[in-house]
Amino acid sequence: MGESLLDKLGWKKYIGQQTATYTGEKIQARDIRRYALAIDDPNPIYFDEAAAKRGRNGGLAAPPFYITWAVGVPGSEKSVKELGEDGLATFVGVPEIPDVWTLGWMRGGEEIEFFKPVYVNDQVSVKGRIAEMSEKEGRMGPMVFVTSEFTYTNQAGELLAKHRITMIATPRKES
Amino acid sequence: MKEQIFFEDVAEGQEIPSIKKDVTTVNILMYLSTVWLMDRIHFDYPFATQRRGLPDVVAPGNMAGDYYCQLLSDWAGDKGRLRKLSIQFRNFMVPGNVLDCGGRIVKKCVEDGKGIVELEIWLRNENNVNCVPGKAVVELPLK
Repeated sequence: MGESLLDKLGWKKYIGQQTATYTGEKIQARDIRRYALAIDDPNPIYFDEAAAKRGRNGGLAAPPFYITWAVGVPGSEKSVKELGEDGLATFVGVPEIPDVWTLGWMRGGEEIEFFKPVYVNDQVSVKGRIAEMSEKEGRMGPMVFVTSEFTYTNQAGELLAKHRITMIATPRKES
Repeated sequence: MKEQIFFEDVAEGQEIPSIKKDVTTVNILMYLSTVWLMDRIHFDYPFATQRRGLPDVVAPGNMAGDYYCQLLSDWAGDKGRLRKLSIQFRNFMVPGNVLDCGGRIVKKCVEDGKGIVELEIWLRNENNVNCVPGKAVVELPLK
């Protein structure tokens, strides 16, 4: 048994590492409407202020899972030339580790706990830390699992959600 | 307006009403443009299939989270609340999929005076494959 991939990369020292705090822009009614249309949720609470006030959130708020996008993806607004071949500059869940893109990344799973909704005109902040790393030998070679935990708050500092994302990384194939 | 469900009215083993979701390229594009996600596997067919070996362009996995949130928030009603959602990305969702999004109550208990219901949830495609298996915790009001 040779050295594990994780040991070779020396990534375990990043466990516990915190990200910076990222703050998004104010959420607009248009963001909420368009997101609801994208996911085919016809609930009038996302489209109509009066219905929103009477409804479960007591005001115009985004569908629950929208919170994972409410900050934008830090570093994602780049020109086409600056983006990688796959159209991405980065994506949420991939840890902030120097040589992170030497591996190929996929989403494994996530867990989200909801506390408060995101309302129109809110500004959401997110902070994360690398919680766990492990390795498994898959059919096609080593698989590295990295779990990060994110905390979302609004401009009043209220806790909106806690989010655990597990990403799976595997060595890139030679193309 | 749907009638409010109460904790006392549900039972372990009970299935909740399911919803149907169509995966389409147009929905995917609406989603990508609203959240500003340019990952080519979601909209660029030659890239997704030839370069990345995928069966087709694939829907962003997050959309499964959205479908489950709609299913469970609507079921919980205005007096209930979706507390927690856990999902695993097991199979891709591709345009043309008609997804059956549903769940079954596996546990109910009162915790700190609140009615808590745990569910196992599924997003099954037309081949009966659960693309994104998961669990959820919902709070229901007590009568």
